[in-house]
Amino acid sequence: MAIKSKILLVDDETAITTNLAPVLERAGFEVAVASEGEEALRKVSGTKPDLLILDVLMPKMDGREVLRHLRADGNWTPVILLTQVGDSVERAMALEEGADDYLNKPFDPHELVARIKAVLRRARPGQPPLTAGVQLVCEGLVIDRRSKRVHLNEREITLTPKALVLLEYLMTHPDELLSRERLLDVVWGWDYPVETRAIDTRISELRRVLDDDPNSPAFIETVSGQGYRFIGGVRIQDAHP
Amino acid sequence: MRKLWPLVYPIFLMIVAVILAVLFWRSVLPDLILVVRIDLGNLVFVGGVITAAAWIVLMVLWNRELTRSIDRVQYEAADEKRRFLRRLDHELKNPIMAIRAGLANLEGVSTGDVQKQALSSVEAQTLRLSRLSSDLRKLSELEMRPLEKTAVDINEMLSEAFNLAKDQPNANERELKLTIPQAPWPLPVIQGDRDLLFLVVHNLLDNAIKYTSPGNRIEVRAFEDGSTLVMEVADTGQGIPDDELCHIGEELYRGRGARGIPGNGLGLALVRSIIQRHGGQTIIRSRAAQGTVVTLRLPVHSQYKFTS
Repeated sequence: MAIKSKILLVDDETAITTNLAPVLERAGFEVAVASEGEEALRKVSGTKPDLLILDVLMPKMDGREVLRHLRADGNWTPVILLTQVGDSVERAMALEEGADDYLNKPFDPHELVARIKAVLRRARPGQPPLTAGVQLVCEGLVIDRRSKRVHLNEREITLTPKALVLLEYLMTHPDELLSRERLLDVVWGWDYPVETRAIDTRISELRRVLDDDPNSPAFIETVSGQGYRFIGGVRIQDAHP
Repeated sequence: MRKLWPLVYPIFLMIVAVILAVLFWRSVLPDLILVVRIDLGNLVFVGGVITAAAWIVLMVLWNRELTRSIDRVQYEAADEKRRFLRRLDHELKNPIMAIRAGLANLEGVSTGDVQKQALSSVEAQTLRLSRLSSDLRKLSELEMRPLEKTAVDINEMLSEAFNLAKDQPNANERELKLTIPQAPWPLPVIQGDRDLLFLVVHNLLDNAIKYTSPGNRIEVRAFEDGSTLVMEVADTGQGIPDDELCHIGEELYRGRGARGIPGNGLGLALVRSIIQRHGGQTIIRSRAAQGTVVTLRLPVHSQYKFTS
């Protein structure tokens, strides 16, 4: 029998945890629950979960603070944040602080299951996730997430702010099918008219600037009718001294 | 200037002063020495002029202060509304989340037809609440996020929104027309947030399609008159009755004719908010059973300030 992945679900709303835990259990995970930050940190050192789901707004210690504590201790257990604020800046910061993904409430519980599976698939035990990296590299493409600069084959390229957010997300979630809706949420913070081609326009912009041929891409692949995928291999680049 | 009629007072005072002065100057009061009469006359005249001038200056200052106060009150009211919407959205999220998770649990349990139907109906309503919650969030966030200012090609933006609308299922049964002038020159490029402006036009077209029946016309047009870019989305649909027209841009407001049509009454509020942040105006005109036109006016020159 396969070993079940252990999930620690942290939210101060018991109505949410008592209903969500069974859903995750039915999806094949072993679920433990905590109702606030300090309890969560205790349980992390105790049960060593494979993934944490943290609600951002909690009394005493909120999700982001728990995340900071963990990362400061060198604990790279994957974390999915449940954000409640619609602020895209906050979300971008959350990713920079070391969260692997986030989901806006209210969400479809099945979407959470899908994200958990994707994060676990990407996780490299003991090693920091791509989202922790300051500089990410794929072939000749280098993105510095702190200074927000992108270099292709040593030459700096300029991108609009939204295209940059999009590239950053693609590179921190490589080899994962990302639907247009999800990418819209990342770039925009909400699902801007669902059928819109806003994402397609930004992808075209990225392809143009990266010199990526849509028909034989090195970086971004179109999954017909579903979304996009970053197919290049991404790794964290050691910072230059 | 609001209310010019208080200026009547200083003008009246001036007239009285002039009359009195004249009376003094002339020999109306014979028992006073001529010199005294003239001095008195001058005094009254000068006194009257100074008082009237002071009055006018005070009126202007008072009026400016009044306008500023009114603007401040309006701004604070809008701010309070934003905060309310954010709080409402925040309070809705958790219960809706718990319900969705509970429903996901019920799905796993095999049930009879009656339960399945009830479950599916509850799920549909929850989804509706969920969308309302996220639309409220959109609206409150929109009024705070910084605009991404670029040069927007209006022609291209309108064409894309129009083509997207044409692709919608219902649109096949309506007559859609897009008019963009090419003579004497094409539409100006304006500084704005292209995606938000696109959202505005998309929303208006979406409404036009929703509130029209097969066979109706929907027209999109734009033109510039030197200082203003004007865009219009017009339809020959059910229209909006006079008594509802003044409320139509308010959040969550839905007219009587909107019953049975999906939507949550936030679309136009979003449109108004975006256009206002671009320094423009949204005007809605409508006749019940005839049609509706939404006019967007945006300043062309970049001197106007973005509200950020």
